[in-house]
Amino acid sequence: MKLSKMIPLLLLFMQTAFAGQLQVVATYGYIGDIVQRVGKDRVEVVLLARGDYNPHIIIPKPSYIAKLRRADLLVINGGQLEIGWLPQIIKQANNATVQPGERGFLDLSMHVHLIDVPTSVSRELGDVHPEGNPHFFLDPDNIPIIAKAITERLSELDPDNQSFYEANNKELYALWQQKMKEWEEKLKPLQGEKVVEYHKIFDYFLNRFGFTIAGTIEPLPGIPPTTRHIAEVEQLIKREGVKYILQDVYNPQDASTYLSKQLNVKLIIMPHDVGSVKEADNVFSVFDEIVRRLTNG
Amino acid sequence: MKLKETCILALLLLFLWPAGLLRAQSKEGSSFDQSKFVPDIALILDLSGVTRDMANEKYYSLAIPGFSYPFLHEMGSSGSNAHRGWNFNYGELSLYSVVDPYFDLFAVIDLAPDGAGLEEAYFSTRKLPYGFKVKAGRFLASFGRVNEQHEHFWDFANRPLIATALFGEDGLNEIGAQATWVPPTSFYLTFGAEVLNGVNEQSFGTSGFSDPGGTVSVNPVQGPNLYIGFVRSSFDIEEASILFGISNAVGTTRTDHGFSSPGSTGQAVNANTDIIDGDLTVKYSLDAIRYLSFQSEYMYRVLNGTEYTRDSSITISSPSLDKHNSGFYAQVAAKVDQLWRMGIRYDLLMQNDVSLGGADQHMPSNLPRYSAMIEYSPTEFSRFRLQFDRDLSRYAQASGGWSRQPYTQVILQANLTIGAHGAHAF
Repeated sequence: MKLSKMIPLLLLFMQTAFAGQLQVVATYGYIGDIVQRVGKDRVEVVLLARGDYNPHIIIPKPSYIAKLRRADLLVINGGQLEIGWLPQIIKQANNATVQPGERGFLDLSMHVHLIDVPTSVSRELGDVHPEGNPHFFLDPDNIPIIAKAITERLSELDPDNQSFYEANNKELYALWQQKMKEWEEKLKPLQGEKVVEYHKIFDYFLNRFGFTIAGTIEPLPGIPPTTRHIAEVEQLIKREGVKYILQDVYNPQDASTYLSKQLNVKLIIMPHDVGSVKEADNVFSVFDEIVRRLTNG
Repeated sequence: MKLKETCILALLLLFLWPAGLLRAQSKEGSSFDQSKFVPDIALILDLSGVTRDMANEKYYSLAIPGFSYPFLHEMGSSGSNAHRGWNFNYGELSLYSVVDPYFDLFAVIDLAPDGAGLEEAYFSTRKLPYGFKVKAGRFLASFGRVNEQHEHFWDFANRPLIATALFGEDGLNEIGAQATWVPPTSFYLTFGAEVLNGVNEQSFGTSGFSDPGGTVSVNPVQGPNLYIGFVRSSFDIEEASILFGISNAVGTTRTDHGFSSPGSTGQAVNANTDIIDGDLTVKYSLDAIRYLSFQSEYMYRVLNGTEYTRDSSITISSPSLDKHNSGFYAQVAAKVDQLWRMGIRYDLLMQNDVSLGGADQHMPSNLPRYSAMIEYSPTEFSRFRLQFDRDLSRYAQASGGWSRQPYTQVILQANLTIGAHGAHAF
């Protein structure tokens, strides 16, 4: 029988988790980095989405199914950011541990306060998220909250290492508070400046540091700009005296480049996640890089 | 009088009721409200306009000899994009929800102007250990690649030729149960087995038949009649994901075309059918938006049995029937920006060996179809597709054999989705 020959082969490929190491799958780079900082060598972190891709639109690669099949914990951003690609991966992985509602499933959006929760939801308004703006990672005040939620969940799944996780979280918290002071200091001179962004992805950051968001280059979330809308934004930038055009790394940059050249307004390509640009390889450097790009000239 | 006063008092009381108390009451009024438990509901509407250089009646009567031979199935008259002019292809109402911590339930109701039908309805397990999952109900069989995909997820407006030739316009959609196992390997691997009733119009069937004279009598097959096994695996090279699989379907074939009913002539088949399928999909991301995808599938059918033919003089011949049919398709699609996608497809029915009582029937082989499409999607919820097909696979029965009837068609298709529609797999 062919099958009897295949079984030993299969056993060879099976990877049993290292004793004591929790297998954690993180949907986005920033989540993976925080899990790694809290779990250190007691966790093995596996990432799904690439940091420089559109977080809403990720190709649900079958290799993700294999990653999820072996996971003890799946940590997601939530707020429907993964709704277009993750649910089928979870279904196909046949892993009871990481089903929504289980202890092996952690939705970070349930732990932070989401802004722009729409009072009414219609797709007439583009790709709206009924739970609110899901890009909460970019408010640095949310990082300690996220780290705490991860610490609690890791401790719950692996109680033997609870004090280890808590100590790491404490360390991260202290370091983060220190950096926060630094970023606040550097961004103080820019308080009140008006900006235009391509997609509503930097709102949390901009609100936190007192920028004024004058508008978006997308006419509606997820819908590419039309000539008419670009003309409107052009008027808006002139009228409001917008200082920066902020663009993510994954959307087409034609409209932003055009507006920037036309009106001599600075275009800044901003990292939105760990891995979105070369310099932003962890949660600290994401914000370092954003601050550097904003304050550079 | 007393009644009137009571009424006025009651009305006054109602109007003067403190707002806070009213609110409290309305809240209590929703004690048994279950609206939060409404499942995810979506409606997908698919319409098309078709032009074709062939009259509808003639198009409906065409067959693919050897595949659907010797019965003219009028394959063309059902299914999407069948008629010249406007087609209401389908209104697909889908419902999905978690049943309880242990099960999921998914159903698709196919709405048409003249009625509705249940296309799929199945439950699946959520919590089986060791990577197992079981689903049961009516569902699209996990046979190959395209069969399992819903029509609106296809890169083209119609099913690949080999899939239509072997399974008909509705594909392999059966009642039964499926078990899958995902081993904890470092790369993606899935094993699956299905036990199904096997009542597909083209390749499988269970009904018995007998001629009016009672000479031949073939008993019905007691279900289940169709067994499918499949293996799938995948790996990534840089930004390319490669998915491939092998599927095998084995079952009894029973067809009866006028054989059992009193009348002039009739034919019936009792056979065993074995179909093997190999599929390959490659998706390569160029950047966050653009990608190239390649999808190809090869199917090979072996059918062995007996063909019963009753002529007008009620004599019955029952030669052995032996069919070897194969075909494949290969398609490439490119998403060029956020709004546009385009693709080409090549279909080929390759082997078409049919022998009756050991005599080769000289069926036409190497029958191609060429397709090209361009798509415009304002959002992920609406899509317009222009497709061109040149089909050289269809034949009309003529005196002394078959005559090829090539046709060309252009399809303009609109596909729109409202509501809560679940994410698609790879």
